[in-house]
Amino acid sequence: MRSVLFITAFIVVFSCELPPKHATQQNTYSRATDTITQIINEEYVMITTAVTMPMYVNHDQAAFKKWGEKMGVKVSILGPAEWDVPAQINTIEEVIGTKPTGLLINGTDPAIAQVINKAVAAGIPTVVYDSDVPNCNRHAFLGTDWYQIGKMQGEEMVKLINGNGKIAYMGILGLTNMEAGFQGMLDVFKKYPNIEIVGKYDDKANVEEAAKITADVLSAHPDLAGLCGFDSNSGPGMALAVKEAGKAGRVKITTVDWEPEHLALVKEGTIQLLVGQKRELFTWYGAQFLYDMVHKTNALSNNDRQAGITNIPQTINTGLLRITKENIEQFIKHQ
Amino acid sequence: MNCRWQMQRRKIFYRWLRIDFIYDPKKVSMLSKVLEERIYSLSILLVVVVVTASFIFPATFPTFENFSQILLNLSIDTIVAVGMMMLLISGVFDLSVGSIVAFAGCLTAYLMHFYQLPVPIAVSIGLLASLIIGWINGYLIAYQGINPMIQTLAMMGIVRGCALLVSGSGIQNLPYWFNAIGQSKLLNIQMPVWYMLITIAVFTFLCTKTIFFRRYYYIGGNEKAADLSGIRVKRMKMIAFIFSAGLAGVAGILLSSRLGAALPTMGRGLELRVITAVILGGASLSGGIGKIPGALLGAVFMGLIANIMVISRISGYWQEIILGLILIITLWADKALQKRYVST
Amino acid sequence: MQQLRLEHISKSFPGVKALDDITLEVKQGEVHAVCGENGAGKSTLMNILSGNLKPDSGTLQLNGKFIQLKNPQDAFAHGISIVHQHLSLADNLSVAENIFANQHPKTSFGLIHYADLYQQTAQVLADLKISIPPTVRVASLSQAQKQMVEIAKALAKKPHVLILDEPTAALTDTEIKVLFNILDDLKRNQVSILYISHRLSEIFKLADRVSILKDGKHQGTFTTENLTKEQLIKYMVGRDLIEVKQNSIKQSTILLEVKNLSGKKFKNISFALHRGEIIGLAGLVGAGRTEIARVLFGADAKLSGEIIKEKNQLHITHPADAIANKIAYVSEDRKQLGLFPEMSIQENMIAASLRSVTRYPLISSAKSSQHAKELSEKLNVVARSLQQKVGQLSGGNQQKVLLGKWLAVKPDVLIVDEPTNGVDVGAKQEIYRILKTLADEGMGIIVISSELPELLSLCQRILVIRKGMLVGELPVADATEENILSLAAH
Repeated sequence: MRSVLFITAFIVVFSCELPPKHATQQNTYSRATDTITQIINEEYVMITTAVTMPMYVNHDQAAFKKWGEKMGVKVSILGPAEWDVPAQINTIEEVIGTKPTGLLINGTDPAIAQVINKAVAAGIPTVVYDSDVPNCNRHAFLGTDWYQIGKMQGEEMVKLINGNGKIAYMGILGLTNMEAGFQGMLDVFKKYPNIEIVGKYDDKANVEEAAKITADVLSAHPDLAGLCGFDSNSGPGMALAVKEAGKAGRVKITTVDWEPEHLALVKEGTIQLLVGQKRELFTWYGAQFLYDMVHKTNALSNNDRQAGITNIPQTINTGLLRITKENIEQFIKHQ
Repeated sequence: MNCRWQMQRRKIFYRWLRIDFIYDPKKVSMLSKVLEERIYSLSILLVVVVVTASFIFPATFPTFENFSQILLNLSIDTIVAVGMMMLLISGVFDLSVGSIVAFAGCLTAYLMHFYQLPVPIAVSIGLLASLIIGWINGYLIAYQGINPMIQTLAMMGIVRGCALLVSGSGIQNLPYWFNAIGQSKLLNIQMPVWYMLITIAVFTFLCTKTIFFRRYYYIGGNEKAADLSGIRVKRMKMIAFIFSAGLAGVAGILLSSRLGAALPTMGRGLELRVITAVILGGASLSGGIGKIPGALLGAVFMGLIANIMVISRISGYWQEIILGLILIITLWADKALQKRYVST
Repeated sequence: MQQLRLEHISKSFPGVKALDDITLEVKQGEVHAVCGENGAGKSTLMNILSGNLKPDSGTLQLNGKFIQLKNPQDAFAHGISIVHQHLSLADNLSVAENIFANQHPKTSFGLIHYADLYQQTAQVLADLKISIPPTVRVASLSQAQKQMVEIAKALAKKPHVLILDEPTAALTDTEIKVLFNILDDLKRNQVSILYISHRLSEIFKLADRVSILKDGKHQGTFTTENLTKEQLIKYMVGRDLIEVKQNSIKQSTILLEVKNLSGKKFKNISFALHRGEIIGLAGLVGAGRTEIARVLFGADAKLSGEIIKEKNQLHITHPADAIANKIAYVSEDRKQLGLFPEMSIQENMIAASLRSVTRYPLISSAKSSQHAKELSEKLNVVARSLQQKVGQLSGGNQQKVLLGKWLAVKPDVLIVDEPTNGVDVGAKQEIYRILKTLADEGMGIIVISSELPELLSLCQRILVIRKGMLVGELPVADATEENILSLAAH
């Protein structure tokens, strides 16, 4: 009995396959895909977290669906309703098994690098959008440089408060790209010794929380000069609290995103600057890249796969929108 | 005269169809045994679902890769579900498990990344931290009488905050041997699935065969009577919370290992998913019933439904609605069938 | 003139025929008792009469008209009121809100008129001579007071037919007197009263006629003048019962000594228990007898005093300690405190003695079923199988299972608290026989009971507790119901 146990344990331990030592290889050989020579059931799948979030639905997903209609191909949108990265990873893994024609993945967290590599190794063209995922073999990335978002806000704020005064800022703490944004802003402020940062806050992507934090900061610092927001819900929350304190227009606000509520606040003068992302471009062009890769639209050699190259752009910075009172009318009509 | 003849004809018809148990009290008891035991009825349901899905999606669903992926994706939840099943058997539940999953993973990663602690030591400290959180929960709930829902809800926030403190926006690039825990494969199935199966096997054994765990059924059945029967209810409840937190810690470390990174947002929404799985698997919020394998079956059921929705490209909007509906329908059908066939 | 007439009423549940072709009539102004062992069908019959259940076949006539009762409200509307055995009060509401549940007097706006509510309740209570204030929350009342509120609730609408299901089980003698006066009044007002009880002496005192049910069948209806107690029992049980009334031999070794024991509700209790002796604790409800037992058993904290068993001082902080010292306590409320209703008979029986059914460290199902089988045979537990859920058994069988759980511990000292509460005649006798046999085998037994005849037939010594203090110790030869009561009640 005991010997049977020993032998079983022995076999078990030795048949354990350890994961590969070097998970990533940056050279283009591994980036090349085994593109499907015959396209069966053409379908492009987008996988993101917070799949029901209005900003994602109205910009990313709307453009993706529009693209699908225009090209006459099937598109699907999947992912958990919460910001649940492990669930997103699970979904991607299950989708890989269904062999989609191409994958469009929201780069929510560096941790998804492994599953992206798995998709690429399975021969599926994979494009990442919104935030880049380091150390992965994705075929292309389209997104915004968050550092630039912070820099734009910083520079504008300096102008608005004439280079001196107290500033507070908020966003979702714990996200890599947002930290990059903060850094962009702080680097601008470093050059202005008269600007004092009174706090960095976590508004947990929640309007009420942002409003509450702003109200508290205003009570603690009645002479607050400006507020910078980094997530979608920061703006409306900050504006609400500033209005309630009767300081609309006197406390300067810069923030991100350009949903109808943000635009209204700019028109009314409570928010001075919106730094917008061109999210529609992420998914439209991302899907287009996938399509072109699969259909070999711009084949660069006799067989790109054998040659170990990809025939689509690698990294695209879609740029930023600068929305202020001057151009606000254009955006309101557009909606 | 007419109706008696019709009754006879119906009886003959049913006997031909082999469903004569409707009129035969002896056979009713067999059917009622099946319906009483959620394990059996849920297993039958699972088989039905698998067979149906295999017919509808013959190319993608019934493959080894897909099934092992489903199991891998539910392995973390199931390990936590074992602890939750134990708690529900005793008549309480723990809302802080999701946060403990995040904290355990993040703390371990933090120690390895910033203090360069060797993997076994970091893992042990992470587990120890989870056990301590469980001990605090258990002590306050069992000995100080704090309402379990409120206590664990508060702990949920505190522990999640700690996870954020410790890991900021996440810790990447964890040591190779740490990742190997969750990423190695055995017989082409990734390790977390094996750990899950071992956990289920061990706890099933313990809960059916040892006195210690049997006592939880008594506590859940009638707490006052259990206390008067010599069962040290307070002590046992506290221990149950320690187990639940410990298993959540194991799950958290395993999840980080599988991801190769520690995210402070891990385990968001885990507690409700796990409670749903455990209730599907046969537990009741009033305590006293439930078997450990039920936790696995409930989780498998939810995993199958999620997988089918992904394969059929039903968007995430519907997933939560469908899961909620399934829970209601399952419990309703269960009650209705019990009333008809099982004598109360 | 008849008030209520049932004809050929039958009712079945899956696997069991609860009522088989019952025909009964209840006259106006008569107290008609219904007797039968537990499981004979009395509760089912009452449930049909009160609208809770629908009969499978048969008819119901009220004052000559055929009626069909759709639900309890319907029955209430027809003037049929029932006082349940297991209370149907809402603990968190006041007495008034319970009595007028769903029929609150309303203001012109349709809101509850509280002043009226309390005044009408006070009137109802005064008419019935029940002295409970209408504003008090039911949760704070004693079991006996709750029962009186339940009675008031049934009488608030001046019913034509009143059904009482074991009304005196929770009452003390003072309340019982009040109840009997109420029934006399009702009789004079031509109200028909159906009275279910196990207390045979009450039936002979109160009832005009008795109907006996056995196994769902009507055994006969007799006037109480033409029936003796023995005949009644024979119809109910079908066998002759010999009252076991000898005293077991008391051994001289002192088993348990209690010295100056004080707890939250009692002070300075001292007594001794010998091997083979059965002693009783008598007193009014709320005197502190259960509290004494709980402290002895470790369920409540001891404030001072000593518990000495066989010359060893015991330090008991939790029932587990008591069990380790071979002291067992069969609690008063078996449903709430003693049994696990959703678990099987077997699981209930091993609950306190789990260690003894192991082949360490695993539970042996063979040993468990063996222990359970032995105990249920010894105690004559009647059930389909040992896996049946305890909640489905009759009161008498449930009490036996509870007793079995404690016997499995193999105690030296057994404390039983109200051992035959809600138990039918046959099972009662069996329990008495079991207790006497256990004493003969050397166990020391303490019996807490509110039924004085029970104490007098079982015990060799009776200790009387009043307001938490020991006020008297009577050897059974000197004890009578009167002098016990006079010590207990002062």
